[in-house]
Amino acid sequence: MSGHRILVVDDEPQILRFLRPALNAAGYDVIEATTGTEALSKASTQSPDLIILDLGLPDMDGKEVITRLRGWSTIPIIILSARDREAEKIAALDLGADDYVEKPFGIGELTARIRTGLRHSMKTDAIADIIQSDGLLIDLVHRTVSRDGTSIRLTPKEYDLLVLLARHAGKVMTHRALLTSVWGPAHAEDLQYLRVFIGQLRSKVERDPGTPRLILTEPGVGYRFAEGS
Amino acid sequence: MTETPRQTRPDPDALLSLAKREERGRLTVFLGAAPGVGKTFAMLSRARRLQAEGIDIAIGLVETHGRAETAELLSGLEILPRRPMDYRGKQIEEFDLDAALARRPAILIVDELAHSNPPECRHPKRYQDVEELLEAGIHVWTAINVQHLESLSDVVSQITGIAVRETVPDRVLNEADDIVLIDLPPDELIERLKQGKVYVPENAKRAIEKFFRPGNLTALREMALRRTADRVDDQMVDYLRQNAIEETWATAERLIVCIAADTTALSVVRAGSRLAVSLNARWTVVHVERPDRPVEGKDLSFVDEALDLAVRLGAETQRLIAQDYVNALLKLARNEHATQIVIGVTRRNAFSRFLKPSLVANLIERAEDISIHLVTVQPRARERRGQRAIATKPRSELVQDLGMSAASTAGATLLGLVLNSLLPLPNVSLLYLLGVVIAAIRNGYRAAIVTAVLSALAYNFCFIPPIGTLTIAAPHEVFAFFVFIIAAMIAGGIASRVRDQARSAGERARVTQSLYEFSSKISATVDADEVVWAAVSQLYLMLKRPSVILMPRQGELSVHAAWPPDTTVEIIDAGAARWAYDRREAAGSGTGTLPSSTFQFRPLETPQGVVGVCGYGIAGGPLSSSDERIFGAIIHQVAVAIDRARLSKAAMEHTAALAGERFRSALLSSISHDLRTPLATITGAITSLRQFGENMDPATRDDMLQTIEEEGTRLARYVSNLLDMTRIEAGTIEPAREWIDPSDVVREAAEMGRRNHPEARIETSIADRMPLITGDAVLLQQVLFNLIDNAVKHGGGEPITLYARPDAGDIVVSVTDLGKGIPAGELSKVFEKFFRGGGRSDGRVIGTGLGLAIAKGFVEAMGGKISATSPAVRKRGTRFTIRLPIPPQPDLERENR
Repeated sequence: MSGHRILVVDDEPQILRFLRPALNAAGYDVIEATTGTEALSKASTQSPDLIILDLGLPDMDGKEVITRLRGWSTIPIIILSARDREAEKIAALDLGADDYVEKPFGIGELTARIRTGLRHSMKTDAIADIIQSDGLLIDLVHRTVSRDGTSIRLTPKEYDLLVLLARHAGKVMTHRALLTSVWGPAHAEDLQYLRVFIGQLRSKVERDPGTPRLILTEPGVGYRFAEGS
Repeated sequence: MTETPRQTRPDPDALLSLAKREERGRLTVFLGAAPGVGKTFAMLSRARRLQAEGIDIAIGLVETHGRAETAELLSGLEILPRRPMDYRGKQIEEFDLDAALARRPAILIVDELAHSNPPECRHPKRYQDVEELLEAGIHVWTAINVQHLESLSDVVSQITGIAVRETVPDRVLNEADDIVLIDLPPDELIERLKQGKVYVPENAKRAIEKFFRPGNLTALREMALRRTADRVDDQMVDYLRQNAIEETWATAERLIVCIAADTTALSVVRAGSRLAVSLNARWTVVHVERPDRPVEGKDLSFVDEALDLAVRLGAETQRLIAQDYVNALLKLARNEHATQIVIGVTRRNAFSRFLKPSLVANLIERAEDISIHLVTVQPRARERRGQRAIATKPRSELVQDLGMSAASTAGATLLGLVLNSLLPLPNVSLLYLLGVVIAAIRNGYRAAIVTAVLSALAYNFCFIPPIGTLTIAAPHEVFAFFVFIIAAMIAGGIASRVRDQARSAGERARVTQSLYEFSSKISATVDADEVVWAAVSQLYLMLKRPSVILMPRQGELSVHAAWPPDTTVEIIDAGAARWAYDRREAAGSGTGTLPSSTFQFRPLETPQGVVGVCGYGIAGGPLSSSDERIFGAIIHQVAVAIDRARLSKAAMEHTAALAGERFRSALLSSISHDLRTPLATITGAITSLRQFGENMDPATRDDMLQTIEEEGTRLARYVSNLLDMTRIEAGTIEPAREWIDPSDVVREAAEMGRRNHPEARIETSIADRMPLITGDAVLLQQVLFNLIDNAVKHGGGEPITLYARPDAGDIVVSVTDLGKGIPAGELSKVFEKFFRGGGRSDGRVIGTGLGLAIAKGFVEAMGGKISATSPAVRKRGTRFTIRLPIPPQPDLERENR
């Protein structure tokens, strides 16, 4: 299909054994690495378009791999994590990983994340003037928001938060990332702002605030803006 | 029956002491009557013989005293180096105990058993070094002269007129495995002495004159021979006991030796010891103290010294407290089945005999079948009790007493004069009597006597005609005057005694109260650390001395508690503590081991063994007998409390281990069942597809693939359940405490439920304005999902409702199904691990029995509560309710809105 090249970093041969044919079938080229060192070297020499990284590697901490990669590259990174390693997952996201998939995962879930990751890396330069999703329209030039033609009044912070989420539609945004961008680094831990503002924002922009369709919760991690269809 | 010896079982005590002896080194004592009989010579000759036979023998210490014959024998034998040390500015060389222990020869020769070590050594006496060597399994040969035996030192002093300072307890000789008597007739010894073979010549003459007189030597020789003969007897008796030949074991005599708190005590103990030895009797030395007259200071040291001596001489000791001396003594004697009582009597003059009926007379009267031995002893005059008592009373008290006397006399006189001028009193003397009684109650006996004398004078001067003189005119007034004096003295005496008794009773009550409080305090704690801290502070409070408790930690004794907290334990103190711990006996200051320590340590003994040691600072001398009782009571309680703390800890660990054991076995059975079912399904479906897939129509193939996916999901959930349960069991759950929006969590959980159970109808009802709470969103969502999952399984296809609302300071979230409900009997068990409720009618496996247990574990980890109600609605269904507290809501800064 697109011929994007994906570097899969995992030391479990069983995982590689099904990922390679599955991703090939989905139209991607697959490069494999089983250690952190090998991953770093292949990332620099074979210029992959996206990296799938298991956090548990034999030779170095997966977080270390992310830190080093982010030293010179903005390539999208999707991490594979175990459900009981919550804190590690969040730390990896805060270090610059783009998204995560929990083991065990279905292939559909993984390919959806891959698509989102690739799309964001493609359009980093061109920032759209208008974002549209499920009837919601955000005009970035005039800083206005409307649903089905009805204008919605947002406070500046609500607007900032909504734009931040919408610009990264499909991608998980950690609490820390949202708080730092909207309220500044001093408020990086002040989760209460986020809880309150997300509540307010949902009641204004969601069609049914009791069943959010736009701003989705990632429990314990952050929020994700639903991808426009 | 008496004719054939009964073959009964050997006496266990006898066997035990034999067993103990077998692992100990053997002690061989070369016993002589006097210096110069050739003990060292004999010992060394024998050593050479054994060495020639290839036995590992070494010399720890031998003094040749410049004797050439002896020095010659030493050549060729291994001599261990001595330990140089400073003693009173002189450089001396001592026996090096540690070097000997390290060298470990089979046989070690250590001469001069009665030697006293300089203070730097571990033990004050050489025989204690020898005991440690024996304890370590080294055989020891040593030598001693009979005059150095503790029980004989008195007699020897009397015979020879030379005081014996260096003594060895008789038990050392009694416990020796072999005694070799080195005998030399007195004439030959004197001959050797004259030839200069005993001491170097210049010392010989003086020695002969003072000690080596034929009479002395004969007496000493007799003693040595008798002691050896006694020992041979003892060995016979031991043999008989070990071989259980009972008839020859005559009923043992039992002796009680009673001592007073004065200078006579030591002599009475020695006399008792001689009697006990000659009777081959076990004996107990006892001191009886009256509760109203506590023994303190110097008197106490007489008692301590005498009891120490008694222990060294092989006696048991007791301290009794009783009002009725004679009664207490006889009671003890009867309990111990004593046949004889030894008591010291002092010669008293006729007047004191008249005043106090003799204790001894009283004792003899009531003794019945027990024989009483009287030992006549003479206390040294200047140390008689009464004189010392006055001399030691502080000057300030004397002044106070005199002031009190003067004041009460003046008061009585003044009152008498005033009253007499208003209305004439016939009995002014009663006023003075009142003054005497007041002085007695306030200041004691001495003030009462002084007041009585002053009052008599003032009474005579002011009220008895002729007034203003110290003469008495009327004869009947003379009589009245003397009656007054006697009455005043008696009243004063009684009043002051009542005061003393009340005081000592008060003091005892305070001590008892304080001990009682301590006891109830530590009995309420199960933490050994708290117990030891409470103990040291209590000891400091009651004894006014620094106290420490040391307990073993990784094999080393270390300070667990000390009061005052900055109390330090030096190396020597630690050595004494170690000794007390290892040997289960007192060590440190005032004992035979490391007496230069600044503490005395006692073991904290429990039935399970020694748990530690407790020491008290020695500044201020040994403990008084009442302090000794307090100390004893406290350390006993501490030992018991530590023991209890350990037992309860062990019991708790045992309970936990048991619970863990149950969990593991339930886990195993769960894994074997719940893990295998999905695995079997997956394996079966996959192999079917591989083998017959081509023959299947697409719908069947698809259904099979879906089964695999579903079972895979189920397996994943089961594994994560097990993981969660293990985390709960291990107590490693650390819920995040961050702000969460409960309505968001409830919606997410419902969403998750719908994804996993597309067939189920899951509805939510969330209050409009939900406050934020602090907690862990992931855990809470997991809890709600588990409840939803459970509701789907038991809900019978009816809708499931999630409610969320604030209520009375809590957030209440509930999950309600409309199934059959839970039988009342099972309601309390639903949160138990591996509990499974009634299955579905279609017989499918319904779960792992972990979901609700995990829900409960997570909710409680977040500080919330979870409960189950059934029936929930119209006699149907079950409702699970979670309550989590609402914290004060966060305050958002205005500029950030």
